[in-house]
Amino acid sequence: MMDVSLCWRPPAWTVGEKRMRTAPTLRRLLSALTLLHVMVQVNSQKRGALRDLKCTTNNLQVWDCAWKAPLGAGHGTVNEVCIDDRLHSCYPLEKGNVKIPALPPGDHEVIVNYLHGFNGSSAKFILNEQNVSLIPNTPEILTLSADFSTSTLYLTWDDRSCAFAHHSKVTWEIKVLRTPRMELVNVVTYNTTLHGRDTVHYWRWTSDLPLQCATHYVGIRCYLDHLHFAGPKEWSAWSPLMNISWAPESEAKAFPQDKVVLVGSNITFCCVSQTKVLSGQIGKTFYPLIHLYGQNVAIHIQNISVSENSGTNVVFMIEDNVCGTVVFAGYPPDVPQKLNCETHDLKDIICNWNPGRPTGLVGPRNTNYTLLDSFSGKSVTFKRFETLTNESYQLLFQMPPHQEIYNLTLTARNPLGQSESAILVNITERVCPHTPTSLKVKDINSTVVTLSWHLPGNFARINLVCQIEIWKPNSKQELNITIKGVENSSYLVVVDKLNPYTTYTFRIRCSTEPFWKWSKWSSGKRHLTTEAIPSKGPDTWREWSSDGRNLIIYWKPLPISEANGKILSYNVSCSSHEEVQSMSEILDPQHRAELQLVKDDYIISVVAKNSAGPSPPSRIASMEIPNDDLTVEQAVGLGKKIRLTWPPDPNVTCDYVIKWCNSSRSEPCLMDWKKVPSNSTEAVIESDQFRPGVRYNFFLYGCRSQGYQLLRSIIGYIEELAPIVAPNFTVEDTSADSILVRWEDIPVEELRGFLRGYLFYFQKGERDTPKMRSLETGHSDIKVKNITDTSQKTLRIADLQGKTSYRLVLRAYTDGGLGPEKSMFVVTKENSVGLIIAILIPVAVAVIVGVVTSTLCYRKREWIKETFYPDIPNPENCKALQFQKSVCEGSNALKTLEMNPCTPNDVEVLETRSIIPKIEDTEIISPVAERPEEISEAEPENHVVVSYCPPIIEEEIANPAADDAGGASQVVYIDVQSMCQPQARPEDEQDIDPIVGAGYKPQMRLPINSAVEETAAENDADSTAGYRPQANVNTWNLVSPDSPRSTDSNSEIVSFGSPCSVNSRQFLIPPKDDDSPKSNGGAWSFTNFFQNKPND
Amino acid sequence: MSQREGNLEDDAQADTPISLLPHLEAKIRQTHSLAHLLSKYAEQLLEEYVQHQGDPFGLPGFSPPRLPVAGLSAPAAGHTGLSLPERLRLDAAALEALPALLDVVRRRQAELNPRAPRLLRCLEDAALQARALGAALDTVLAALGAAAPGPRPPPPAAAAAANSAAGVFSAKVLGLHVCSLYGEWVSRTEGDLGQLVPGGPA
Repeated sequence: MMDVSLCWRPPAWTVGEKRMRTAPTLRRLLSALTLLHVMVQVNSQKRGALRDLKCTTNNLQVWDCAWKAPLGAGHGTVNEVCIDDRLHSCYPLEKGNVKIPALPPGDHEVIVNYLHGFNGSSAKFILNEQNVSLIPNTPEILTLSADFSTSTLYLTWDDRSCAFAHHSKVTWEIKVLRTPRMELVNVVTYNTTLHGRDTVHYWRWTSDLPLQCATHYVGIRCYLDHLHFAGPKEWSAWSPLMNISWAPESEAKAFPQDKVVLVGSNITFCCVSQTKVLSGQIGKTFYPLIHLYGQNVAIHIQNISVSENSGTNVVFMIEDNVCGTVVFAGYPPDVPQKLNCETHDLKDIICNWNPGRPTGLVGPRNTNYTLLDSFSGKSVTFKRFETLTNESYQLLFQMPPHQEIYNLTLTARNPLGQSESAILVNITERVCPHTPTSLKVKDINSTVVTLSWHLPGNFARINLVCQIEIWKPNSKQELNITIKGVENSSYLVVVDKLNPYTTYTFRIRCSTEPFWKWSKWSSGKRHLTTEAIPSKGPDTWREWSSDGRNLIIYWKPLPISEANGKILSYNVSCSSHEEVQSMSEILDPQHRAELQLVKDDYIISVVAKNSAGPSPPSRIASMEIPNDDLTVEQAVGLGKKIRLTWPPDPNVTCDYVIKWCNSSRSEPCLMDWKKVPSNSTEAVIESDQFRPGVRYNFFLYGCRSQGYQLLRSIIGYIEELAPIVAPNFTVEDTSADSILVRWEDIPVEELRGFLRGYLFYFQKGERDTPKMRSLETGHSDIKVKNITDTSQKTLRIADLQGKTSYRLVLRAYTDGGLGPEKSMFVVTKENSVGLIIAILIPVAVAVIVGVVTSTLCYRKREWIKETFYPDIPNPENCKALQFQKSVCEGSNALKTLEMNPCTPNDVEVLETRSIIPKIEDTEIISPVAERPEEISEAEPENHVVVSYCPPIIEEEIANPAADDAGGASQVVYIDVQSMCQPQARPEDEQDIDPIVGAGYKPQMRLPINSAVEETAAENDADSTAGYRPQANVNTWNLVSPDSPRSTDSNSEIVSFGSPCSVNSRQFLIPPKDDDSPKSNGGAWSFTNFFQNKPND
Repeated sequence: MSQREGNLEDDAQADTPISLLPHLEAKIRQTHSLAHLLSKYAEQLLEEYVQHQGDPFGLPGFSPPRLPVAGLSAPAAGHTGLSLPERLRLDAAALEALPALLDVVRRRQAELNPRAPRLLRCLEDAALQARALGAALDTVLAALGAAAPGPRPPPPAAAAAANSAAGVFSAKVLGLHVCSLYGEWVSRTEGDLGQLVPGGPA
């Protein structure tokens, strides 16, 4: 019998205690049960105690208690379990356990009777619900399936095993194992609530390893959390494992196939193969192999990058084969950007958007777009295989009738996800109409037309705002009109205030109210409005013929704005007080008519006609009132305009008429005319026919009641130009000092402006002179006379030189500039008085000089002899020669040279071999002027050496250069008298330094100074000392009196003379110089001696 | 080799008229020129195809084994051992099968490389050109009296379509094989026709 000690009751628990327990309570309960079990074990050890007593329940209806038989109990012991309750019911004990109905809460004494053995003893224990464990039945897996393409396992089971526990929470635990080592790859829990029905539960799981790569096993168990059960609760047993396996094919195959993954994902690929796999690679990159089972291997890739269009290839190399797959790594669709919806016709909504970031997926994996209107529930799908980056997408949504507000949601989907963008629009405010078509124009009259066009769409509910652009030549006009939209797309408007017979171009575009966008412009439609009668008569003028018999009527063609059509003809009629004379019709384009009138007082009427009818008549009086007080005035225009002014004339009642013509035309001359109102005092005349430099005659007429009176006559130029010809002029008279010139007028056509004067130039010059000074240089030798009196036609030029050639130039000028020049050469006559004087004076001077010289020579003959012809000493008496002799005799004592007076006995004159041009008095051209370059080159050879020196002196000044020069020279000995002849050209003298100048020098004191030495050192042959005149040779320079440089001390043009000259020598022809006028070369005469003013 | 070629020449002479009619000769020359041209195009097609398949296609050393292509086999090693008419008949049969296969390849490539219009155009052209060459070859065979005795089995369109349902990688490999086969058969046709061209290689 069980004693009390078998009874175990947790002290804190009572029978009537509410059976709601929390988890800590459950744990404490489990601890207590464990303690109870230990105590039962201990007590049962004593005598007949029950061992390993455990009571469980799986349905809360029946408790199943089991224990081990007490020690010493026989095998065939039959037991009976009795419960000490009210009924004292007993239950046979079956094989060590007993199933008893669930007992009410509280302690129950359970007596186990051993009918056999233990001598009929019994054991007791106290049983409480808290000692009973709730262990649900093992759940069963209904199905286990797999989607190999997605590596997903699908598991189904029901909750039949726990169906008894209504409203209880059940926790299911599912485990996934994988071969070959039954590796637990996933355990998940899944909570449900029991509803009393046999509910089937679903669970799916996606494997990171393709299911084809290994066999996957799945098991399930459950845990029932019954709220009203106070005992401990335990997990059920695991269900039998079910597996999913891939039936390998004979060929190796890689998995997963064609999977789409997110960029950056980690993914595992495997190869199911019967043979050994050698390598695995993605693209060109090899990865380490992970051996699964058999020959199956896998590779694992982390952070996969975006694929190219055709995907990323995963290839496993097998011994004799390859297996591979393709993975597509991309992005889920970006949120559609810039979603904009509008309609063209209120029939379809067009939504545009930008897809945003490219997904990297194309073809079947490309993004699909669905546009859904939540109000109507309608949707459309955009599907396109080929998409280009940054392309704007467009979707057409057909509008349900009578719906204006749309809540449009655009959803983008691809295998990696979806995104959406929404817009709420009132579509009547988002109308961009189509381009209007079929624009037609129809005439109503000459100024009104109707425009009709077709605008696709149903705009019956809204107003249209259309803009009509009306082009006509040189102008554009825009009309905005608002019209009510129609359903049939045809519209018509009236356009008025047009001009008759005018070509218009119409085009139109439309928008809606409120404004959203303009449509595109329709194509232009040209239209010519119909004709109307001319609005005015033609502008008319009349001219009397030169004989005064005929009246010529002129009229201008009407401008298109006044003609209102094509002018077909003109009717000209004249009327007087007595009669009306009608002329025949004059067809366009003739714009003149000539009338033969018997008297001069008529009213001429001109009417223009087009197809619509005649214009109002234009009338003009034929009479021309004479004006005796008429002056001719001048006017100059500006540009193509000329401005004419006149004083107001109260007698002018109708208007002023200004007519003009080219002055070169014969009368009657009429180019054009212009009418101005009678209150005007000025008019600006402008015409494209005006040309610069052309003289026009302007006539101002005033209109009075009787007729027109010529008020002013004006000649004018639009722009003055310079004359194009020079005036013709002739020399009427020539004297020795004056010229009389006469010229003619320039024709008006060639004058090209108002003549303002003449410019007369004259200067010395000859016809054949190659270079004449330009007139514009203002050189001093050009004389200018400005003749501003345009009526003057002659000019006398005085104070000229006789027998001199002058160049005369005459030019006319206007305000437009100087005209061309016309020149003429004239030679003045010779002055006979001067010639006589030129002969007599030199003769007289020569006689006087000769007499004076003879007298002086006679009186000073002794002095001259001592000076020029001293006695020559005997060389034998010269001590210097004795000194030389002693040297030659080899005297050892070197003696100082003793300079005894040594009188030279001869004069040596050195002269170059070159031929020096002989200067003759008759030569009129200076060689210096004509050949300066030759002189310069010949200069080293043309020097003259006049020297005399004792031999010892010659040795001191000798130098190699002088020797060289001497080699090219010939020494000529002449006597002193020969020196009187000119031996050098004038130009040589300018190089003669006063110090080194040749000439006689006394033998006693020959000045060889440092300057001479230096010059000699510079190889100047001219430095050789020689004969020098006693006087200063510089003072011998003689110049021509008429030379312009005669007073120039530095002049290159000098004459060379000697004190022996008895008559002056001069170079009468000035040197040739481009900058100076050439002297009268061949016309040189002695009269030049007497000319004080070389140019005058 | 020369012995073998001598035998082939004998076969060709035995199977063809000794003196070809001028228009037949012109047709043979024309067909041979077409085959020569298409062999160049086939090389370009293969290059273009490989270029768009991604690595390791086109990398040196990557040569997937030749899987059998439904309805079309590679030229057998013993092809040259056959008589010339027989070889031409095989050529014609292959050229008849190729357009459908090339079309399948083009459709798959249109999904994989929709932005490669040049490749797609090359594949489309290749199908047309193979068909044209096959028709020309049939004409030559008929003129030579060497046409196949019975009707040729229909092109393997269904089989090719079945192939197209396989994975993308398999489709790429299939396309590679089809493009290669196209080039091989066109070259083979060119070589076989060359033996018929007067003055051509023996």
